[in-house]
Amino acid sequence: MSAILDIRNLSIELETDNGLVRVLDRFNLQLSEGEIHTLVGESGSGKSLLAKAILGFINPRWKITADRLWWRHYDLLSLSPAQRRLVTGRDMAMIFQDPGSHLDPNEKVGAQLQESIPSGALKGIYLKRRADRKTRAERLLHRVGIKDTDDVMERYPHELSEGLAQKISIAMAIAHNPKLLIADEPTTAMEPSTRAQIYRLLAKLSASQGMSILMVTQDLTAVVPESQRMSMIYCGQLMETGPTQQLMAEPYHPYTDAMLSMSLFNQDLPPKTRLPTLKGAIPTLQHMPIGCRLGPRCPYARRACIHQPPLEKRQQQQFACHYPLRDDPDHE
Amino acid sequence: MSKLLEVRGISKYYVHKDGWLPGKRVCALEPTSFTLGRGETLSIMGETGSGKSTIAKIIAGAERPSQGEIFINGQSLNLMSDQQRCRHVRMIFQDSLRSLNPQTTVGKQLCEPLIFNTELTPRQQKERVHNTLRKVGLLPDHYDFYPHMLSSGQQQRVCIARAIVLEPQIIVADEAFAALDPSIRAQIINLMLDLQQDMGISFIFVSHSTEIVKHVSDKILIMHRGKMIEFGTTQALIQQSEEPLTRALLCSDYNYKVPLNSTTKE
Repeated sequence: MSAILDIRNLSIELETDNGLVRVLDRFNLQLSEGEIHTLVGESGSGKSLLAKAILGFINPRWKITADRLWWRHYDLLSLSPAQRRLVTGRDMAMIFQDPGSHLDPNEKVGAQLQESIPSGALKGIYLKRRADRKTRAERLLHRVGIKDTDDVMERYPHELSEGLAQKISIAMAIAHNPKLLIADEPTTAMEPSTRAQIYRLLAKLSASQGMSILMVTQDLTAVVPESQRMSMIYCGQLMETGPTQQLMAEPYHPYTDAMLSMSLFNQDLPPKTRLPTLKGAIPTLQHMPIGCRLGPRCPYARRACIHQPPLEKRQQQQFACHYPLRDDPDHE
Repeated sequence: MSKLLEVRGISKYYVHKDGWLPGKRVCALEPTSFTLGRGETLSIMGETGSGKSTIAKIIAGAERPSQGEIFINGQSLNLMSDQQRCRHVRMIFQDSLRSLNPQTTVGKQLCEPLIFNTELTPRQQKERVHNTLRKVGLLPDHYDFYPHMLSSGQQQRVCIARAIVLEPQIIVADEAFAALDPSIRAQIINLMLDLQQDMGISFIFVSHSTEIVKHVSDKILIMHRGKMIEFGTTQALIQQSEEPLTRALLCSDYNYKVPLNSTTKE
C-alpha cells in the first residue's frame, strides 16, 4: 500500500537566545490509508511539534525543512498558506489531550458541534439547512457512541465527564470526514475504563471509514492492539519504527527495550523488585548531546555513539543504533 | 505482621446547601474499614469520583471524616494534635512543581516541617535535611536550589524528601506517578521501594496504572461510587477475584465492557 502521508528527513529548528536548536532531527514517517500509527515519546521529544508541523500550526519562528512532506499528491511545504489551509481543513483533524479545557466553556456542546459541520455539505435552504445541521450533529454523536443526544447537546462542557468530553471532541474532529486524524495524547490522566472506550472508538472509526490515525502518546501502555505500526522517538530523533507486535516482541534499539521494561510490559519481574531504568534525566532543549541523543543515558553507549547512527532496516523494522540488541555475530 | 494502621468505619458526607432549605447530603465515602501492616504497600484503585482520593485525604489529615476512627499503633488519631499526627503520616501530591513553593529554596522548604514539628536546633535541622537529600538521591548542594532549577524527576524527589524528613511511618501518595515520564517514573518507583526497605515505611498509593499497582503493592483496595468493593492481597485479587470491576481494573482487558456508571456525572 502506498503511503498517503510521507515524511522524509523532517527537521524543525527553533530560534532561541543560544542560536538555532534542532528539536526534531531528520524524522521519517510513512502512513498508509486506514492505518493506525502510534508515536511514542517522552516529554520534550518533539512529538507534539511533529503533529503541529503536519497540520501547519506553525509559529513563524520555527524553521521547518524536509526532503519530503507529502500529503497524498500535495507537497505541503510548497503550497501557499491559503492552499495549505484548504487541504488541511478538508483532509485532516486533530484531537487534544485535555478535552474539557479546549471546548468553549461559554457555549453549549450542541452548538459547538453544529459549528464544526462544514456548511458546504448541508442541503436545502435556510430553515431546512438548520434542521439538517442538527440531524447531522445527532448522527455524529451516535457515531461516537453517545445515545442520549438531546441531553448531551444541551449541556455545557463543564458538565461533562472527561470521557464524554473526549468523545464530543472526536465527534467534532470527524465532522468533515477527515482522512487523517491526529490524536495528541487523547487519554493521558484518564481512567483505564474510559481510556479503553476511547481507544475502541478510534479503532472502530479507523476500520469503518478507512481513516488513518496518528496516535501520539507518552506511554507504551497506551498502545492499542489495533495499531499496525509504531515509532519510538526520543529528544527529536527517531529511535525505532516497525510493526507494533514485532517491535514490542523484539526491539532492536536499547531505548525501546528500556521503555518496554520500564512500563512493566510482558515482564516477569517478581513484585517489589527494582525496575530497570535509564539513568539520568531527559536533557533540556538547550543542552542536547551531540550524536545519538540517547547516548549519555544508554547502557550500551560506546565511542561511535557521538555520531548519529543512520537508519538501518531489518525486515520491516527500522532503527537508528550503532550497537543494536539481538545482533547476529557476523553483523558488525 | 503487626497492625500499623487500622481504619475503622470512616465515612465522609458533604452537605450541599441551597438557600435556606436544609441541604442535600451527598455521600463521598461510605463506612470503610481496613488495616495495613508495617512496611506494606496498599494501593487504592477506582474510577473518578469513587472516593479513592477522599480516603487518602482523610488518612493524611487533609480532611476530617464524618464518622469513624483511625488508629496508628493502637492510638487513635482523633486524640492527637496535628503536630503529632504529621510525624506519623505524610502526603505526596500529584503535581510536584505546583506543590513546592517557587519563592523559597529547596532547603528552606525541607526545614519547615522540622521547625514546626520538632525541637531541633537550626544546625541539626540542616544536617537532617542534608541527610534526607542524600537518601532521595540528591546532593546536599541542592539545599540552595529553587524548585524551577530542578528537572521534573528531581522535583518529585524533593517532594519525597519533604515527606520523609520527619521520618513518618506512613506516606500517602495521591497519583504521584501519573504526571511523570516513564523513565523518570521507574526511577521514582525504585526510590520508593528502596526507602521502604531501608526505613520500613508503609505506603498508600492512589493510582490507576495497573502495571505499577501490580508491581509495588502488597494489598489492593477497589473502590466504586464511595463503596469499598474488594480488599485483599494483590495475588488473591489478580487470580481469584470474581468482581467484574476488579477484573476490568487489574486485568485491563480492552474488550471487556465495564459496568460504567461514571460516563455521565450526576
